[in-house]
Amino acid sequence: MARFLIRSIISTIVTMLLVSMALFFLLEVGSGDITVKILGVFSTPEQRASYRSQLGLDAPAWQRYVDWLAGNDWRVKSRVGYPLVTIPNKESGEAEWWADVEGQPTRWKLEEGQLLALKRQGDGSTTEQIVSGDWQTDESGAEFFWGVDTKNNAVKWMRGEGAEVWVLTKAGLRKEGDGPQTYIPLRKGLLRGDAGESLQFGRPVSATLWSRVRNTAVLAGVAFIIVMPLALFLGIIAGINEGKLLDRIISIGGLGATATPEFVTGIFLILIFGIWLKWLPAVAIFTSANAIFENPLLLALPVMTLTAVELGYIARMTRASMVEVMDSAYIRTAIIKGMPYRRVVVRHAIRNALMAPITIIMLHVNWLIGGLVVVEVIFGYPGLGKYIYDAAIFGDFNAVEAAAMVTVTIAIATRLIGDLAYTLLNPRIRYA
Amino acid sequence: MAIAQPTAGVRPSRWQQMWKSVAIIFESRVATVGLAMVLFWLLIGFISLVWTPHEPNASDFIQNLPPNGTNWLGTDHLGRDITSRLMQGTQVILLKTRLPGDSEISIPGGVAIWGVIGSLVLGVTLGLNAGYRGGWWDQIIMQILDALIAFPRIVLYLVVIAALGQGDMVVILAITITGAPGVARLARSLAMDIKTRDYIRAAETRGESVRYIMFREILPNARGPLLVDAMLRVGYAIFAIGTLGFLGIGLPPPDPDWGNMVNEARRNIFSNQTAVIWPSLAIATLVIGLNLFADGLREELTRYQK
Repeated sequence: MARFLIRSIISTIVTMLLVSMALFFLLEVGSGDITVKILGVFSTPEQRASYRSQLGLDAPAWQRYVDWLAGNDWRVKSRVGYPLVTIPNKESGEAEWWADVEGQPTRWKLEEGQLLALKRQGDGSTTEQIVSGDWQTDESGAEFFWGVDTKNNAVKWMRGEGAEVWVLTKAGLRKEGDGPQTYIPLRKGLLRGDAGESLQFGRPVSATLWSRVRNTAVLAGVAFIIVMPLALFLGIIAGINEGKLLDRIISIGGLGATATPEFVTGIFLILIFGIWLKWLPAVAIFTSANAIFENPLLLALPVMTLTAVELGYIARMTRASMVEVMDSAYIRTAIIKGMPYRRVVVRHAIRNALMAPITIIMLHVNWLIGGLVVVEVIFGYPGLGKYIYDAAIFGDFNAVEAAAMVTVTIAIATRLIGDLAYTLLNPRIRYA
Repeated sequence: MAIAQPTAGVRPSRWQQMWKSVAIIFESRVATVGLAMVLFWLLIGFISLVWTPHEPNASDFIQNLPPNGTNWLGTDHLGRDITSRLMQGTQVILLKTRLPGDSEISIPGGVAIWGVIGSLVLGVTLGLNAGYRGGWWDQIIMQILDALIAFPRIVLYLVVIAALGQGDMVVILAITITGAPGVARLARSLAMDIKTRDYIRAAETRGESVRYIMFREILPNARGPLLVDAMLRVGYAIFAIGTLGFLGIGLPPPDPDWGNMVNEARRNIFSNQTAVIWPSLAIATLVIGLNLFADGLREELTRYQK
């Protein structure tokens, strides 16, 4: 058992690494120029190139993969010369990068050739101080300085080079002289819980992702609570009545419900309950972050759609397993022994018959996530699925990668739990 | 080969043999119904190649008309005839694949068909190698497939399409990648079973190459389950194409695509319900038909194996 556990954990880690690489490089290699999306089609190539370098996209792909996964503060630290720390912003609570200059959090900026150090005070405000003596000289005699700028990048300023950068502000692009030569956006890396900045919203992905995950968890949880008992019940009923009319209805109905794409089911439910009968809200519009708790009716149609899709599948699995168990010798023995039929079913058959569906349900989480994406898009439900969808459409790779990693982690974790549950439930299986 | 059949009358002719293997479909009522549903759409598709009631892409009519004499199923939000669009919608799925570029060239076989062929080729190759060679081959191939399976399918579609853009070829690639792991697992388990047989031992003793044994000895004997599985996969593929179309990232215009028709029409769902209902029903019936067919066929085939 211990060996089996270790093996599956190692295999899981390798799988996760492969998945992260596939995700990163697929989006890396394939995705078009994201700066066109952010800056608009009328931006000049020069502006785009400048903005690309500010996003750190000019670094080689493998380097960015390592940064993305494991962070880069440990790598950049030696260049800046001070330890790099994150301090939450007083207003937004989002992490900001500072260099720790002898206990004093500091950032730098270059204004009209003057290097200014911004020193953070206890109340969150900063004081400016001219630090012209800090320039260093390289072999060719040019003066340079590595520091942390106000946008969470580690940057290299060159004195007197007059490099110009295009800075994106709320009002548009602004040209600035004396810009830094090299940008390295600082990040802690996915392994330490920092997924980078969402290119769509300009906020850290982790700040926007979790509320979406919560919404999806509520939706999937409610659907699960409704689907499970109902599907198992229908499956068992069909399995006991194998070949009879009731079984036919449940089996074929289940097949039909599973084979119908989620969006078709959703559209028909909207038509019936939202438009013709006008009983339920046809879309899930969130007027506040906690709208689902204030108005649970918003959940009704999304949950019904998910139920319709999942119900058939699980019921069919349960049925197949029940049929197999009811065919087995020990059930026949119990019946011949003169045990009441109901007792044979409840005490002997069901326990064994439920084993397979439980594992399969765990494997089925992948499918459920797929259904969630579609259901959330149909109803405009602000959950994880819609988050991935919106991010993928925009090309916001940081957000897609993080959200996809969340779904993959959930899927792999449930599969592992399913494997373990199966071994624990079934004493006949023992891993050497 | 005609001379080589002197025992005429004893051996059934080729046609009879073929009919015998096809007749199994009609033993199952479920499979027959499923086949009828699929054939209905295939027929519609072939008719649409030569004739549709109106020009599918022309905005010739008033927008959002209810069903009437000229437009049997009504018109959509751009005043296009829904009947014609519905009919032509079968083409991209089942009958033709548009090649990339500006050329108007299409190859026969729809996106769903090519996607499934792709996943069969890739999956069978990986699965046979893993199953027959075993050892490190097995470990490495299965590890890679595990990583692919770990992706929720739709997330993989979204990532592939976000990365490579829209197009028939991209959708085929997406279906191939998502379908291959399942095929590979099936092919692997079949190969592991078949490689213990005597005729494989005989081939090995003859000194046949590994490739010969995999593709000429094992593959033909693993054909049945793989084909039934492929039938189900065509259903999944159409399901996937519909979903992608609905999400607005599926097959590109101008050819009508059912999923995309639903997607566009649902914006006017309060004023025009017919435009949503018909393409939805079309996808649902085609996918359900394929599922019924594959399911009935599998039931019928496994009945004799018991």
